[in-house]
Amino acid sequence: MTLWRWVGARVSGLRVRLVLAFALLGVITTVAVASGSYFQARNVILQQAQDAAVMSLTDQLTKVYPITQLPPTQGELDLLAQRLSDREGSVVVIYRDLWAQGSDSLDLLTPELRQDVGDGRIAWQRVSSEGEPWLLIGTQLRFARADGSSRPSGLEVYSVRSLVAEQQSIDRLATLAWLTGGLSLVLAVLLALLAARGVLRPVRDLGRAARRLGEGDLSTRLTVRGVDELADVARTFNDTARTLERQVGELRRLESDARRFVADVSHELRTPLAAMTAVTDVLDEEAEHLPGDAGRAARLVSQETQNLTQLVNDLIEISRFDSGTARLALDDVDVAAAVTAALRIRGWLDRVRTELPPGVVVRLDPRRLDVIVANLVGNAFRHGAEPVSVRLSADPDWVTIEVADQGPGLDPEVLPHVFDRLYKADTARTRSEGSGLGLAISWENARLHRDGERRGSLVAGNRPGGGAVFTLRLPRDTADAGDAR
Amino acid sequence: MIGRRTGQTLLAGGLLLTLATGCGVRPSIVITGRPAVSGPSQGIGLYLLRQGELVLVLRPAKAQGTPDTALALLAAGPDQTERGRGLTSEVPAGIAPVTSEVDQAGDLTVRTASAARALSENAVNQIVCTAADAAAQAGLVVSFAPVTIVGPDGTRPPQPCPIK
Repeated sequence: MTLWRWVGARVSGLRVRLVLAFALLGVITTVAVASGSYFQARNVILQQAQDAAVMSLTDQLTKVYPITQLPPTQGELDLLAQRLSDREGSVVVIYRDLWAQGSDSLDLLTPELRQDVGDGRIAWQRVSSEGEPWLLIGTQLRFARADGSSRPSGLEVYSVRSLVAEQQSIDRLATLAWLTGGLSLVLAVLLALLAARGVLRPVRDLGRAARRLGEGDLSTRLTVRGVDELADVARTFNDTARTLERQVGELRRLESDARRFVADVSHELRTPLAAMTAVTDVLDEEAEHLPGDAGRAARLVSQETQNLTQLVNDLIEISRFDSGTARLALDDVDVAAAVTAALRIRGWLDRVRTELPPGVVVRLDPRRLDVIVANLVGNAFRHGAEPVSVRLSADPDWVTIEVADQGPGLDPEVLPHVFDRLYKADTARTRSEGSGLGLAISWENARLHRDGERRGSLVAGNRPGGGAVFTLRLPRDTADAGDAR
Repeated sequence: MIGRRTGQTLLAGGLLLTLATGCGVRPSIVITGRPAVSGPSQGIGLYLLRQGELVLVLRPAKAQGTPDTALALLAAGPDQTERGRGLTSEVPAGIAPVTSEVDQAGDLTVRTASAARALSENAVNQIVCTAADAAAQAGLVVSFAPVTIVGPDGTRPPQPCPIK
């Protein structure tokens, strides 16, 4: 099916159509001209040969007169036939049932020719015998009367000439006509190919440029040749590409400006936050001694300062991903041990069902794995329902960690945006305990691990039995040159 | 679309057919040209019969014969050679002496010595053609002039020679 479509596309392609049109035009023209001139020339050749033969025969026959005796004897007829025959043709002389001839060719005479000769006119006819063309010319020998009329003598003379020489001339003409036709066909095809190339090259260039543009190379431009319609198209393409490049460049500049702004702001906030954290640590210690509202206020300030510090740290992390400066610190890590450690540090080990087969050693960034696991499990506790399970599996290429809970699962509308930054699933709840960047950071961390074409991934979904499940897949051999982009 | 395809196919087929059949020297029908070759004859012409058909016989002679001499030779019948070639005559020898005359209107009249009305059809044609030919040759009458045969027993209606 596809092969046929490919063949069909080829056959109906511009090149084939051009070649066919040119070839058809060339062939029709040549056939018309060549066959026309061939038939014309053939008729002229034959007519000239016939007229010359008739003229020569009548000239010879005038020398036969005057005839002094009738009926002729066989000997006289033979003599006459021999006298009239020459190397161009032999002559048959017939007198009623007597006949004489220069050579044996009587059986060539056709009844219709004899009929027309008997009616008193010079008549000729071309016949074919044993593959060779012959010209037969016949006439009566009549006696002239004083008043210009004539009476028949009963003698008839037929000249039989070969037309082989004329046939050869005509065959040469035919060969020439075929040759001309063939040459013009070749020429037409060559011209068509040339024309097709002239048209197809700009089209091909245009196609290639459009593809490159589509692949993101916005600096693609076409060389504008000539002033034809294709040049117009190329010019329009260049204008479009230029506009696109400018607009995309503008957008990128705005975006990077915004990111840099966020990064700068985060960095600027870090120093005062460090100071604030130091102060809130002191406040925390003093909070127990403060009475009533003052103590609650001190704890609130301390808590919010911690949250703010977390948010700023997350923002700095995100801006590292965005600027491409995030680097992996790779190590050979026993994944089961690393996950257990991550859970134990946070005091979750007793609350999580783990399925961690030991001995899965993978080259990855342990800090980032810790961030991902902590984030996924934390989310499961916060948004889903216990029991939360962590399952590790591995194959020769990938290592997979599934974090699942028994909660209501993720809303299908939320699912596509789960990894968006600062996305709030519950719009009514404007304040959440997390920064809103945790999943985005986890996703970036997963993608940071890559081995050639294989790239780490983090996927959110719902289990058939209910509950959300986040699946982290990392390649087993992450290359050292870990680059965020 | 179909119509155009068919047209193209027909055109191409026609061209191929023309090329395939039109090459070389083809046999033709009979082409007729000028009237047959004619020239002078020398001698006295008379019409004898061969298998019931009128045949022109040319007897060698120094001068063109008059109708009278030709008719006299006709009355004498075919000679030995001519008889050997199968030539006969139905003209009775008794019609001699035969005379001929041309009247004012240009009509030729032949007078025979024996009965004219008893002559056979072939004999009449022999006489008419021989006399008319000789007279035309001598310039006395136009060709194909009707000839009247007059005998002692009466006159036959004028008739022309059947040979053109």
